[in-house]
Amino acid sequence: MLVVEGLTRRFGTLKAVSDASFVIEPGAFVGVIGPSGAGKSTLLRMINRLVDPSEGVIRFGNENVTALTGRDLRRWRRRAAMIFQQFNLVGRLDVLTNVLMGRVATVPAWRSLTGLWPEDDKVVALSALEQFDIGSLAAKRAEHLSGGQQQRVAIARAMVQEPELILADEPIASLDPRNTRVVMDALLRINRHFGITVLCNLHSLEIARSYCDRLIGMAAGRVVFDGAPVQLTDALARDIYGLDSEQVLDGSARAPEPRVRAGAFGEAAVA
Amino acid sequence: MTGPRWTTGVEAAAIRARYPAAFEGTRERIAAAAIVATMLALAGLAVWRLDVSFARLGTGLVQIAAIVGGMFPPTPGTHLAVFMHALGETLAIAFLGTLTGALIALPLGLLAAKTIVPNVFAHFAVRRVLDTIRGVDVLIWALIFINVVGLGPFAGILAIAASDTGSFGKLFSEAIENADRKPVDGVLSTGGSALHAIRWGLVPQVVPVIASQILYYFESNTRSATIIGIVGAGGIGLHLAEQIRVLEWGQVAFLVLLILVTVAIIDLVSSRLRFAIIGRSTVEVG
Repeated sequence: MLVVEGLTRRFGTLKAVSDASFVIEPGAFVGVIGPSGAGKSTLLRMINRLVDPSEGVIRFGNENVTALTGRDLRRWRRRAAMIFQQFNLVGRLDVLTNVLMGRVATVPAWRSLTGLWPEDDKVVALSALEQFDIGSLAAKRAEHLSGGQQQRVAIARAMVQEPELILADEPIASLDPRNTRVVMDALLRINRHFGITVLCNLHSLEIARSYCDRLIGMAAGRVVFDGAPVQLTDALARDIYGLDSEQVLDGSARAPEPRVRAGAFGEAAVA
Repeated sequence: MTGPRWTTGVEAAAIRARYPAAFEGTRERIAAAAIVATMLALAGLAVWRLDVSFARLGTGLVQIAAIVGGMFPPTPGTHLAVFMHALGETLAIAFLGTLTGALIALPLGLLAAKTIVPNVFAHFAVRRVLDTIRGVDVLIWALIFINVVGLGPFAGILAIAASDTGSFGKLFSEAIENADRKPVDGVLSTGGSALHAIRWGLVPQVVPVIASQILYYFESNTRSATIIGIVGAGGIGLHLAEQIRVLEWGQVAFLVLLILVTVAIIDLVSSRLRFAIIGRSTVEVG
């Protein structure tokens, strides 16, 4: 069980996250929604401890995550795998090595630093790649893959960490609609099959509604909604998204109305 | 743990059979070990053949102690005005040399860039000429120009300009080749000429890079200008060599400190300038 209490992060005078509190049950698939700049990213990065909180406490089971340092912190990060919008793979390395990065916290340092990975770990890494149908890409350089393939490599890397929690920070924001589905299905499968808790930042309300058991809505750093997707009415969504709401509520299926003022480019353009 | 470990069901034998390549790599490891062994052997051979003697280094240490002792306190003696004048001369040599080299190298760099001159032979010829110029060290250029224009700072300026022409030509051509093609296409697409494309598509990308390279070379040339002074091409190096010859270690120390401080100041100023120039153009929101 992940417990977040009064979590706050300040950058200078700006409060990126302000007094966020919630509890996440094991095995849940939770979407964190909200407009750009609402603090979703900072929240997830704090849970992985890539960003240190200014105030507040994060607890996982009996452990106080906010107090961890050194080895214990690295052990926690292994348990709370991160997935990034830009994939954050090492482009020049092959896919298999990228996935093996998920083992650096558990493999002895002399082996991981020299690249002499134990065969068992290679088996696990290849098996993870196979689960996302990209086993054949193991020897390719990561930078030569498409965005959708790279994100699946990143998910495989997260999987070989054998995490208890997956923190996905806008995992589909850089992908086309087809790959969006592939990646979200992969996250859902991990969640359903292996009971790994997923906490996923999403900009798109439509996607969040169709995949998540529960939504946490953020606006201007605060948690402003916490409940089941059905409880999120259009009026509430409009509050969360503010100016963006029109675009988000329409979904990506409908094209925006063209808005042209007559005569904007002078009479010649009209004639 | 919330669920069963997903890795417990993994069939290792089947995976190994499907991806044999991932479990090989012994050949690469043997190659890597062979390379390391060869390097060690070569290093050992070099130490032996070049008569590297740690015993002689040990006895030399006593000598070094004496020299270091003589360096305290550093003092300009009665030559402060002469030294400062020579320092100014060194700076002037570095400045004029760098500037001249950059001006000559600019058109050469354009000619040597594949993206500007598509003719393979032309840019191959320019490149080989630049390589040749660059292959000769600035000290050799100084000795040559002393014979051409006589002893003094003018020879130093020419030596630095010549050596920098080679280096700048290569660096500039690479900066031009690495420039992004897309802005150039953008300018051409609006009906611009080749000159428009260079002026507005290429130059804005390349100028910050080139400016920062010139600043870096000015700093590095201040050190070079000291060295070429020793062979008679003007500047503070001449005095440094002279004081070493007459074993005035206090004055040697003063000169070395003077050069160090000067280079440090130039380094500080030029790195700020370079950062200001580059920061303005290449910082992108990612």
